[in-house]
Parts: sequence; structure tokens; C-alpha cells
Amino acid sequence: MLFERIEPLLLNVQKPARYIGGEPGSIMKDKKDVRVRFAFCFPDRYDVGMSHLGMKILYSVINHRPEYWCERVFAPDVDFEAVMRAHNIPLYALESLEPIKDFDFIGFTLQYELCYTNILNMLDLAGVPLLQKDRGEDIAPIVCAGGSCACNPEPIADFFDLFFLGEGEEVDLEVMDLYDKMKAAGATRSEFLREAAKIEGVYVPSLYDVSYHEDGTIAALTPKGDAPQTVRKRIISDFDKVDVPEEFVVPFAEIVHDRAVTEVLRGCIRGCRFCQAGFLYRPFREKAPEIICEQAKTLCQRTGYEELSLCSLSTSDHSRIEEMMDGLLTFTERDHINLSLPSLRVDNFSTALMNRIRRVRSSGLTFAPEAGSQRLRDVINKNVTEEELMRTCKIAFAAGQATVKLYFMMGLPTETDEDIIAIIDLAQRVVDMWFGMEDRPKGKSVQISASVATFVPKPFTPFQFHPQDTVEMIAHKQKLLEETVKGHKRIRVSWHSPETSILEAVLARGDRRLGSVILDAWKKGCLFDAWSEHFRFDLWQQAMADNGLTMEFYANRARSYDEILPWDHLDYYVDKAFFIKENEKAIAAQTTPHCRMQCTACGVTKVTGKPCFPVQKEEKV
Amino acid sequence: MIPVRATFAKRRRAKYISHLDLMRCMQRAFRRAEVPIWFTEGFNPHAYLMFPLALSLGYESDCECMDFRLDGPMSMQTAMERLNAVLPPDLQLVKVAEPVRKHTDIAFADYSICLDCTEGTSADVLRSAWDDFIGQNTILMEKRTKRGTATVDLKQQAQILMTQTLEDGLWLKLRMPAGTSVNVNPGLLIDAFRAYLEQNAPHVQYGMMRAARLAILCADGSDFV
Repeated sequence: MLFERIEPLLLNVQKPARYIGGEPGSIMKDKKDVRVRFAFCFPDRYDVGMSHLGMKILYSVINHRPEYWCERVFAPDVDFEAVMRAHNIPLYALESLEPIKDFDFIGFTLQYELCYTNILNMLDLAGVPLLQKDRGEDIAPIVCAGGSCACNPEPIADFFDLFFLGEGEEVDLEVMDLYDKMKAAGATRSEFLREAAKIEGVYVPSLYDVSYHEDGTIAALTPKGDAPQTVRKRIISDFDKVDVPEEFVVPFAEIVHDRAVTEVLRGCIRGCRFCQAGFLYRPFREKAPEIICEQAKTLCQRTGYEELSLCSLSTSDHSRIEEMMDGLLTFTERDHINLSLPSLRVDNFSTALMNRIRRVRSSGLTFAPEAGSQRLRDVINKNVTEEELMRTCKIAFAAGQATVKLYFMMGLPTETDEDIIAIIDLAQRVVDMWFGMEDRPKGKSVQISASVATFVPKPFTPFQFHPQDTVEMIAHKQKLLEETVKGHKRIRVSWHSPETSILEAVLARGDRRLGSVILDAWKKGCLFDAWSEHFRFDLWQQAMADNGLTMEFYANRARSYDEILPWDHLDYYVDKAFFIKENEKAIAAQTTPHCRMQCTACGVTKVTGKPCFPVQKEEKV
Repeated sequence: MIPVRATFAKRRRAKYISHLDLMRCMQRAFRRAEVPIWFTEGFNPHAYLMFPLALSLGYESDCECMDFRLDGPMSMQTAMERLNAVLPPDLQLVKVAEPVRKHTDIAFADYSICLDCTEGTSADVLRSAWDDFIGQNTILMEKRTKRGTATVDLKQQAQILMTQTLEDGLWLKLRMPAGTSVNVNPGLLIDAFRAYLEQNAPHVQYGMMRAARLAILCADGSDFV
């Protein structure tokens, strides 16, 4: 245990509670009873990582098995990292305070492309060889990863033994079971990896060779031995019955989302063409309201949290939302628990329910039209109309709100200057509506904040073929926005510098050649790239150039439909042919109805063998 | 409604919990333990919890104090057992009783401070530097308060109860003014010592400081809890 060595150092760093564990809900086990140890690593700071529901789920799932022990690891902030390096403290897990180098699994969750240098830094702090090929034939530690960015793991393939594709609740344990058995039999790392690759949802990158054309595109991906040609993601067998955490590790120090969270549905029916999550997490599945309420109630009781939040891509798409809200409000009101409702459309709620929600908490209203003009909203298949936006704002204004936050993107396919100007026009029409309302809140003045992000084309979306706007194009559009908003006193526009989005675009659709770029960028000092105060775009540009590559090739190049994409050998249930069809419709500004209205034949049912939505009699009329 | 004064220990990993974080942690512990704690009335009801004397980050203690009110059919003893079952092992209640003294009765607190030797400074050298330091007529330090900074004479404020040379360090017991009106953190005296060394004996250094609160006392020297 490193406690004695860490203790003298902690009082010299910011928020030491992040580095010492011991929180209520953290799971302690006796090493003697444990056969497989899993270090669950979140490649960002404690306050970010501790807010992540996926970690809580897998922590609970693994620790339910008495013979396995899952512990938490986060990226130390720069001040503590310096102290650790100066005193030779290796990266350790928060429960046992033991070095993770000696664990069986070192597993990272990949939530965001800009955390890749943090992964290398954590492996380095742990004292584990960064490159998979340098880890030798000892079976431990197996360095693995899962999470949304695992859908294109090629840029970080050099650093990992295996990736988990899709939902981890079941496949993680299957891989640990296999490991447990093979370790006891004295298997080597490569023997284990070859066996693990046979499990559905497990991708072992070292079992594939990639060759390239002269123009830099992929010529072929060749499996070695009996590795499968395509690797399919996993989904859990029954969403209602899946193991959910009955308690969380409740942190002492404040974290980003410090509250109880209950998952209400997985997947999304909407099919917005820019949205990776909407395709990655298909099929759509929802939990029964009684199960949601029971789980939320237990969680609140076991954690003692005074706030409950619901997690989903779109909570209002739950088919029995009124019932669910009713059940939740019944116990949250009684127990003084605040219910916070992100990703919720309020326009289809009954007034009675609206009133109850308002009584619990009135947080600011946010709405994501994503594009300013109806034409462009049709292109991206964001099926919200201006009428819906106005109706929602009207309800909120009548209820006493005066500030609205609107989210947009710029750089969307087919976008013109008119579409950019339309962002301000749309915001102004919300302002005009406010002044047209006789029952608007007295003594307040309306404020519209329009936040405009730079669009990043992502794998497994219809827009995966599209070039990202160049820096010059984005700069032009930002200037246009700035000029257009002048004179609109009630509207504030904000955006970020595009460099972060460019790097995100490069890494999101990158291939294996980026492995050495990421390694070089880290060696040059890149770390916490998602944090603007640490982000060093110039070092990334150098690292690209040093490796004979350009950002433009990855970010600003249109892909033809027959190009082999770096993630084409990974199967996330949705067909490439469907993405092509959707992209064609996008260019023609044609919308696709959501899954409940009509099956889009995206490919999911071919795998699941059943329709996502049972056809109901009343809908047949 | 029964008023309760709980004494709790804060050790090892729990000593890094800041005062604000500790309050939040206790609030949640009451919910987890389903102890019927009295809620304040008003627009935003919250569990009523009162900590008469905050403990600095990094200090251990077996004598921390927290007041609350039981608002339901549960004995203090059961409440303590239920809270301890949901609190981490390094943060545990040790005693519950009806409050006797008022918060304003708190006048002093006793502390144990250990200063570790570093390479190059022996315990004897450290001890004699300390004796020189504490033998000064005045020890002036700037102290931050809610109303800006004030200069305090620590020589007047601090009572040295014990000074002992250890094999590899120096062990002190101090009595400092504490409470709602005057409160002097022993860390301030140690900061003054460090500043004194830098000025007068730069070759003398100490390593880590281990600190613990030993007691919370009233003006007559009796225990607050």
C-alpha cells in the first residue's frame, strides 16, 4: 500500500481528496479472496471521471463477483503528477492504493478523442510499456478499452491489447472469466488474446495487418490466423434485467455531476445524421417505469444524494414518460430530492405535470435546433420545427423563465452563408415572440444565448464521408455570425476556436498511422488536450508533420463510398449501405421519419431478428 | 425533538476531507442511514446540521463535534449505529449525548504536532531551533480573517503544553484559542517557525508535519463534549 508514501505529499496539492479514495460506496476487498484485479481508468480528472455513469455501472458489475475486484483510477492533475514523478509514486488505484502495474486488467473508457494523450501519460505513470508489442508474453496486465470512441480505435490500436465494442456489462465479465481460466493454466498474452478475439464484441487489433494505397487510403485489412474478418459490437441481452448499480461511490470532493443518475432508455429513435451516439447505441430500448422508479429510489436511498437525474439520449422519447415522471415525483417530493431533467422536451407534457416539475426545480431552458434554417435542419434530419421551438419557449416564458440557451453547429454539409445568418434570425424571432406576449414575466428581460459549435464528422454516421470545414471556412462563418448579431441586443453568440474540433475530426476518423503521431504529441508535452488551458495545437501540427501526415487528409477530405474506412471491419449493427442512403437523402434535403413512425431498415433488425417496436393495433388505423 | 451532540473521529484517508465536503458527506450519511433528522423550515428545507468548530484539512481528530436534532422515534444510540454503518471506516461517530454546553462556551483547543526531521537536520538541532524560536518575546504573524488581515502575537496566544524530542523529530502539544470569536490555527505557529528558520537558521529544515486535534475545551479547561 502506498498510503505512507503518498500521505506526506498530499497536503501540497490542490483538492487532495481526489487522490486518496475511502469514499462511501467504494468497494474494499481482501486481496486473498480476489483472483482478477481490474483497474478501471478514466483518462481525465477525478471530478470529470467520477461523473461518468458507465464507470459506475461496470464498477458495480465487476465487483458483484466476489473473486474479481474493480478499482478506480483517474488522471492526476498536473500539480500532483509532478509530485508523483518527483517522488517515484507509480499510478495507483484509489481503493487499495496499490500500483496498477500489478493488476490483471488496465481498462480505459474512451469518451472523447482528446483524452488519448492522457491515456499514454497514465500508462507511463503506471510504468507499463506504452506499445502493445513491447509488453512481452506475460499475460498481465492486459491493457484494454471500451466506450464510444472504441468504434474507431485505429488511431490508438498500437497501445491496446484489446477493445470492447458496444455495451460492456456482459462481455467484460466473459473476458475476465476467460482470463481467469487461462492465467491459471499458464497461458501467454498472445494465447489469451487469440482466444479472447473469439468472443463477440472483442477486437484485438494486433491480429490484423493494414496496408495502404499510395494516396494514403487503406488498401486492405487482413486478419491473422483465425481472427474474424469483422468484429460485431455487443448489446446486453435484456435491458430491464441488466445489473444496475444500487449504490455509487459518493465523492467527498465536489464533482461535475454530483447526483444520483438512473438510466431510462438506451439508443435513440431520431436518426439525426450528425449524431454518432444516435447510431452507435441502437437498437432503442426503454426500461419499464416501475423498474426505473424502483432503481432510482434504491439509488437515492443508498447514496443519500439530494438530487436525481435521468440519463438517456432523449428522455421524452420514452413511451410512458408521464407514468414514469409521476412515479418519480411521488418519492422525490416526499424525500426532498431535486429531480433534474436533461435532454427533455417539455412541449408534449400536460400542464399538470409541468406544474409539478416546476415546483421541484426551475433550471434554465435549453433547446438544440442545431441549424438555423429549416432546409439545413432537414439536411441533418433534426426533426424539430420552428413551431415546436416557439411553443416550448412560450410555455417556459409563461412559466416565468426569461433566458433560453440555443445550441447550433456550423460547418454542416451543404451549409451556406444564408444558413449562418438564419441562426440569428431564428433567435430574433424568439425575442420577438417574448415581446409579443402579454403574460410575459414582469420585471425580467429576455436573453437568448446561442452557442455555435464546429461540426465534427464522425464514424458510423451518414456524414462520415464528408469533409470538415477548413479553418478558413470556419473563420469566415464565425466572422459572419459576429457581424450579423450586431444590433441584436437580446442575443449573445458564443463559439470556440476551431482547432480543438479539427484535432477531434482527425482522431475520430483516423487510421493506425496516427498511433505514432499521438505518441510523439505526448512526448512533446501534449496532455489534457480537451482543456483549453493545456491544448497545444502547434505541437500536434509538428507531430503530424514529423510523421509525414497532414491534418487535411483526415479532417478535410471527402471519402468516396467505396473507400475502405478505418472502421469498416467493425460492425455496429447499422449497415454502411444505410449510411450511404441517408447521406444521399441529406444532400437532397429529404428527411427520414423517426423509428417509431416507420422502420428505416438501418440493419439493426437483421442482427436482433425482431422489430425494434412492436406494431400496436391503434397505430394501424 | 431531541437535540443531539455527536462526537466523531476523522482519521487517515478522511483527514483530507475539507470542512465543506464534510458537511455534505454528513448530510448524505443521514439520508443513507434513514435517521430522522430535523429539517429546517422555509422555502428550501435542508437537514439541520451544525459543526461548532471546523477542523483544518490534513488534521486528524477523535474529538470532532456535530449537532443535529432527532425528529422521530429513534434513540440516539440507534442513530449512531446506523450512521456508522454508512460512514467510511476512517470517519466514525464515537459518542452521542444531549448537548450540555453552548457553542459560545468553546474557548480553546489542544493539538498535537509532530515535525519530522529531514536528512541533514537532527532532532536535537531541530529542538534547539524550536527553543530559540519559542523563546522570543513576540511572535508576530499576519492572520487572515473575515474582515481582512490582522496581526496577532502568537507568543501571547499559544500555550506550549509539551515539547518532546523524538528519535526523528519534534513532538509538540499546543493549546490555542478556539471558538466563534477568536480562533487561531496551530498551523499559523508552524508557519511562523518555518519563516523564522528561513530568516535565522536556513540550514535547519523539517519535513512533514503530522497534526491532530486532541480536545475542544471551555474557558474553565473542561471538555466541551
